Amino acid sequence: MADKGPHQNYLGMWGWVWGGNYKLERYLYLLHRITGLGLLLFGLFHLTVTTIFRVQGEAIWSSTISFLDNPLFRVGEFLVVAAFSYHALNGLRLIIQELGFALGKPVPPIYPFTDAIRRKRAWTLVTLAAIMVLAVAFFIDFTVRGWG
Amino acid sequence: MKNTYLQISQMITGALVAVLLAIHITVQQWFVVLGLLGIKVADPTTWGSMMERAHQGSWVGIYIALLAFGLFHALNGFRNILLEINLSALAIRILTGFIIAFGVIFLILGTYAPIALFSSYR
Repeated sequence: MADKGPHQNYLGMWGWVWGGNYKLERYLYLLHRITGLGLLLFGLFHLTVTTIFRVQGEAIWSSTISFLDNPLFRVGEFLVVAAFSYHALNGLRLIIQELGFALGKPVPPIYPFTDAIRRKRAWTLVTLAAIMVLAVAFFIDFTVRGWG
Repeated sequence: MKNTYLQISQMITGALVAVLLAIHITVQQWFVVLGLLGIKVADPTTWGSMMERAHQGSWVGIYIALLAFGLFHALNGFRNILLEINLSALAIRILTGFIIAFGVIFLILGTYAPIALFSSYR
């Protein structure tokens, strides 16, 4: 009797490095996960710092902020806001497409096959353009204020 | 069915976190851009500015909501990634329990500061 169970994920995490036929969208998804993990790590660090040092009073808080005000942390801060811009806008695109919008009408499976997402790649490109605009705006803001 | 609810919750919390974090980052980072728009913002990292926000119920609400939704979204996303390692059912249960405990600890840690500072003002 044929196995009716779900397909096993044979590649596991190694499947991340190969986009296959999905190409651009698959690599955007990979970057979505990498930025998500980075934001999780930063979030835990940020939460710990703001909780522990904030409740200890003005002197400790001010010395902590002075310590963090250096080029290394400023570059890190820029990477965080850039990662957030990417993760948020690409996530919005993923939600919209997962709910069935911006996918295009179904077409008969005639060779060469194109999937629904790639028929509406313009949406992906618009999302990428918006992310670039935000990243540049943040870069200008950081540059005007100084990098540490 | 449980995973369906988790996936829907992941999408909803993702949208909420995007909005709340955009507010947080705009206030914390966009001095120059806000200045160009005619909105003057004092350096939000100074003690005085931080305490001013800590004493406003709306900011305390935003921070706690951001923390709760953010922790759920981040830790559930992390769990989704780890599930791709093809874990056994027992390992998934242990991992889920560990992640929930981790989230609860950080939720308590993170809500302590805003509530303590807000209470000290009243």
